[in-house]
Amino acid sequence: MAGVRLEHVYKKYPGSDKASVTDFNLDIQDKEFLVLVGPSGCGKSTTLRMIAGLEEISEGKLYIGDRVVNDVAPKDRDIAMVFQSYALYPHMNVYQNMAFGLKLRKFRKDEIDRRVREAARTLEIEHLLDRKPKALSGGQRQRVALGRAIVREPQVFLMDEPLSNLDAKLRTQMRANISKLMKRLETTCIYVTHDQTEAMTMGDRIVVMKDGFIQQAATPEELYNHPINLFVAGFIGAPAMNFVTGQLVEEGGSVHFKATGINVEVAEGKAKALRAKGYIGKEVILGVRPEDFHEEPVFIEASPKTIVNASIEVSENLGYEVFLYLNGLGKDNVIARVDGRTGLQEGQNVKLAIDMNKVHFFDKDSELNILEN
Amino acid sequence: MNKTRLQQLQQLAGAPVEVVVIQLSDWVQAGGSRQPEAGDSVVREDGTLIAISADGEELEALRFPKGLTPLESELFRWVLQPSASRTAANGFTDTERSARRLGDWIEQSINGGDLRAEVPDRFELRNRLFDGMIPFLLISEQADDRELPYNELEKVFKSFISDEILLIPIREREWLVLGPDRLLAEVESAEEDVIEMDETKDALFSLATGLHQMFTEEWGGECHVAVGVPIIPTESLVQTVYGLRETIYLGRKFHMGVQVHLPWMIHLERLLNGIPESTRIRFMEEMMGRPDLFTEPETISTLDAFFTMDCNVSETAKRLYIHRNTLLYRLDKLKQETGLDVRSFNDAVLVRIMLLLYKVTKRK
Repeated sequence: MAGVRLEHVYKKYPGSDKASVTDFNLDIQDKEFLVLVGPSGCGKSTTLRMIAGLEEISEGKLYIGDRVVNDVAPKDRDIAMVFQSYALYPHMNVYQNMAFGLKLRKFRKDEIDRRVREAARTLEIEHLLDRKPKALSGGQRQRVALGRAIVREPQVFLMDEPLSNLDAKLRTQMRANISKLMKRLETTCIYVTHDQTEAMTMGDRIVVMKDGFIQQAATPEELYNHPINLFVAGFIGAPAMNFVTGQLVEEGGSVHFKATGINVEVAEGKAKALRAKGYIGKEVILGVRPEDFHEEPVFIEASPKTIVNASIEVSENLGYEVFLYLNGLGKDNVIARVDGRTGLQEGQNVKLAIDMNKVHFFDKDSELNILEN
Repeated sequence: MNKTRLQQLQQLAGAPVEVVVIQLSDWVQAGGSRQPEAGDSVVREDGTLIAISADGEELEALRFPKGLTPLESELFRWVLQPSASRTAANGFTDTERSARRLGDWIEQSINGGDLRAEVPDRFELRNRLFDGMIPFLLISEQADDRELPYNELEKVFKSFISDEILLIPIREREWLVLGPDRLLAEVESAEEDVIEMDETKDALFSLATGLHQMFTEEWGGECHVAVGVPIIPTESLVQTVYGLRETIYLGRKFHMGVQVHLPWMIHLERLLNGIPESTRIRFMEEMMGRPDLFTEPETISTLDAFFTMDCNVSETAKRLYIHRNTLLYRLDKLKQETGLDVRSFNDAVLVRIMLLLYKVTKRK
């Protein structure tokens, strides 16, 4: 087992004036489950492919364990990859699929057998060992692909969107399976996904990327509660954080945030910091997570200075909760997530209180989270 | 070793030669390697021993009672080595040399425009080219300049496909791999006797995808693979290599990011590639209401997915992880901006052609 370290890594493709990955610095601990997440074209897959040795590193150093592996061939890096396509070898049965890599590396037959059967047991595919890939379901194929990687007992697992070809139900199931498996195997894993739910539920640590740059590397909780900038705040969380542009003003000894349809008092701790940083009188972006709107009478009574009134344009009832698409707060729709039993309907006016202790303020120009930087 | 062969050796050596079985420890004690290969020799008091084969702790060898000159030793060593691993003066084994000769001939025939040329009798490998075989063309794109040794590569493919494969190097980092066509039956379930053409193509695609994955994961890094329908190589080897090479060229040109290419999937691309550039540019100028239309990655990825999923809105939305209405909104926006509704057949054809041409012109 080993950690992975990237030091000032760049990827520039010939003929392109812009780097696809810029100054990537990251120390991935041994046994850590690290998730690279970001929108299409952010450089997450390129980074993974550089670690795998499938892309040349234009600049910088890559360590696996203590060894610099920039010039080491992929097959000699002691890594195992699981890709989105997870193409199985169609003319081989499951056993042969899993054994092939070991056979190629000239492992003894009994050792191959031991590893294949052990991995098959772990993945609960023992009964499928004689089957050809064509006779397997999507989920079973995915498990075989994982098995092929597991039997190698590599220092590092690299996974590039391994679940994206599965349907939603299976994806949820496999997500949990992979997490459990990696904990059991105690191997470093670098996992690429565009799906922030996968990232949040699986990663010990998440690296959010955009345009080839690391935006923030932190634990899921840290990312969710303390996003460093507008991008991270908007990317992590579903439905996404609401953003409203408005002004911070001093009113009656306290700081208020004012925008179309909103005039709320900023919590004292945050107000103090905003004053100190000189944001009073300036335009800022307020970030409110959907769950930080409250319709419960107790909360409304306790928070008279953070109340907003809005009309419900659309109501999406998921049973246990309702997403309310609200008009009248700022320029765009705002989404509130409230209890499923409220009975609120489309077209109704609603009174909600914002939990101002949990909101974020972003600088309008730099888009940085004012209170986290 | 059979009797006739032994007698021939005795005649050559001008002395009696016998086959003996000795312990590996005795071999090592006499100065031999711990992992002897056929043709390795040691000199003992009872004569010269040349290894034939090793099995665990035992070793089978030829014993020449009289001492051999270095030249004789070298000659017998060469004779006893398996022909496939004999290394000639140029560093190639017999198989590699034959394969390279054939590869050179293929390349010359392509360059000379003789695409219908049949493999001439003079090639040693010709007698292996009469059976139905599946042609795979592989172009390695590994990140550095490491050479991929023929012998090792051949072993990998033999292990992956079958001992019957033929590996023919054509150009630098370009190989033709011919695999037996019974592989198709191995992909399908055993009980199916007749395989339909569509199934054959699906099976070929999965074989090529598997080959790509194997090469990428287990061996040499990134590569492009094209696969063709089974052929009788003596008759159409040149034409096949030409076609597969063109497939990879067009696939890389029109579909960046795709590594497995299929000749039956690039008909439109081949046609468009043949249109003179001035005509293409004129078409694009006439069709593009908004020159920046395709500069938005979202538009390109949406249309790519839409055409890949046969213009099926629900499937496309699923593939893009977006709501169906979001996709409809994007398609409506495109209609408003260009006047082209990709949900109608004629407009879909036009947009598909524009998209393919845009991808080519964009990278110039």
